[in-house]
Amino acid sequence: MPDENAIRSAAREVVASMTGAPVSDSDPLISSGLIDSLSILKLISKLESKLGIAIPTDNLQPDDFESVDWIVETVQRVATAS
Amino acid sequence: MDGSAFRSELRHLLEENCDRVLLRIALSPELGNPVELTGADILSRAQELAKKFTVASASQVVLLLLPHSLELFLLHLGLVLTERLPAILPWPTTRIDPEKYQRNLLHQLRHLPARQIITLPLLAKNLCPGLPYPATACAIDGGAEYEKGLAISLPLELGEQPDAAGGTGEVPPDALFLQFSGGTTGAQKSVVVTAPMLTEQLERLRQILGYSASDSVVSWLPMYHDMGLIACLWFPLWQRTPSLQFSASDWLLKPDLLFRFMERYGGTFCWLPNFAFSYLAALRGRMKEQHSLGHVRGWINCSEPVRLRSTKSFAEAFGEWGVGMESLQASYAMAENVFAVTQTTLGRAPATFPRAHLRHRAAEPDQHAFDLIDDVYVSSGQPLAGMEVRIVNDAREVLNDAQPGEIQTRTGCLFAGYWGSKGFITTSLTADGWYSTGDYGFMAGGELYVIGRLKDIIIVGGQNVFPEDIEAVVNSVEGVYPGRVVAFGIQDPEYGTENIAVVAELRGLFDAKAATALERQIHKLVMATAGIAPRHVAVVPERWIVKSTAGKISRRDTRQRFLQERLPPRSQPV
Repeated sequence: MPDENAIRSAAREVVASMTGAPVSDSDPLISSGLIDSLSILKLISKLESKLGIAIPTDNLQPDDFESVDWIVETVQRVATAS
Repeated sequence: MDGSAFRSELRHLLEENCDRVLLRIALSPELGNPVELTGADILSRAQELAKKFTVASASQVVLLLLPHSLELFLLHLGLVLTERLPAILPWPTTRIDPEKYQRNLLHQLRHLPARQIITLPLLAKNLCPGLPYPATACAIDGGAEYEKGLAISLPLELGEQPDAAGGTGEVPPDALFLQFSGGTTGAQKSVVVTAPMLTEQLERLRQILGYSASDSVVSWLPMYHDMGLIACLWFPLWQRTPSLQFSASDWLLKPDLLFRFMERYGGTFCWLPNFAFSYLAALRGRMKEQHSLGHVRGWINCSEPVRLRSTKSFAEAFGEWGVGMESLQASYAMAENVFAVTQTTLGRAPATFPRAHLRHRAAEPDQHAFDLIDDVYVSSGQPLAGMEVRIVNDAREVLNDAQPGEIQTRTGCLFAGYWGSKGFITTSLTADGWYSTGDYGFMAGGELYVIGRLKDIIIVGGQNVFPEDIEAVVNSVEGVYPGRVVAFGIQDPEYGTENIAVVAELRGLFDAKAATALERQIHKLVMATAGIAPRHVAVVPERWIVKSTAGKISRRDTRQRFLQERLPPRSQPV
């Protein structure tokens, strides 16, 4: 499993590619409209392929992807090796 | 059937099916094990909850502001059973800005002369000081998670209850509940649904769908929307058949849950808005499980104009699981008619009508545009039995087939009025009972084709231009943020016509040079496809376009912002 730094770096990269704008790790992504809720699964797919992991969404909610900080916490909590 | 007979019949059907599961509610984190409620469970628990939480008297309006939960479903049913009038308010999603949500909530509460609101403890505490009626706390499992995003102090000082002068102040006899009609501005109107209206709608829908005891419904649609409340809760329940309900936010991250539930519980009908067909098709690659869906009789596309490319992509993505075009159906529905007005014929794919054959004065997109948007309109079907649909022009003359105009309807379950700050206000129908829907469409071969909202049409030099068409074209331009495009009309004071304005968000960091280049490109493309040059094209930074409280792009508010901030003074409409 990748460590926290690797997850954070991947999360920043994926988020930047989707928003096209620099965001801080605590900036709200979904409630602010930076990332549309219909694009959350796209974000997850990109993270999975970048980190070589699987992120099962069974117990997740859109809120779990609300910021880069939250993404890091969520991935650490639920990700498994793909 | 009057209100009293309706409640007796509802009790009777629940007692009659006391051992049979009629309602399944899937709740996170136990989505795999939905709570199962038999007729007896629903009857006892719904009445028990209503008794525990209700302080309003009979025939008084009780607002329900709760997330997807057992309590939401049971309180709605329990309040109906105990003669109160429940009205379900939308629970905010993560997409909704808390401040906008607060504003909308304030607006709705000001315009609804209710006698009680039942909500989560934190909101009840926040709302209580500002309301002239009780805010009752109702705790639910996992409620703290929902309250996290609302941990703000709501500065609500509503003062006195709006008086009922101007309306009757009383809801019609036989009223059962209120439901909100569609609206993206926050000024949603609430429709009073009576027992005769509801029973007429449910029976007509049963007839046209050939719905039987072996059918059932699976839904993730919210209860504050007529498609969720009527088609997916009341309809199967009234037919003594089960429905399974899960939440929109669970569906969003686990879209294949819909298929899992359809398969496991033998769901035969599923109502979805048009975008959901495209969304599910696009996510086919993420779905690891295989499903068998050949038993599904109707995937019914409703509440947005039906796009052929959305339904086709759905059939292609899930064809191997047994989804065929003949099961992809469409319906035209509105809260004012309780729900459905038209429905396509089950067992065959909806008819289509070539855009080029439409007899109106719209500018015809050229062949290039046909690569970007459907070149056909998709039928929403024929009117349900006992319902009539006609198309009229501005002079209120009835039009022939293939001539578009405003859609009017006359039915046995049409609403009598809205419930608002002035109490119950009877709506204006024509002398002979027709309701003008504000939607634009045409009839062909006895079937209705819906084009869009009448108020959004741009009339340029006598030609009708549909903003949806312009937006579809501009959305395809590289550099434009997909889905963040708005087209609208601006009155031209000099020539007495309308001009087209297009606002599009630039994807990524805003760069004035890139924006200008994109504006030129959009101008050329719209000219080439619609045959009319837009007068104004503005490429703006991300998040410039105004969204409604429901998260939808608001043409009206974006137009207003454009007029205030972007339009040169000499071009201002008079």
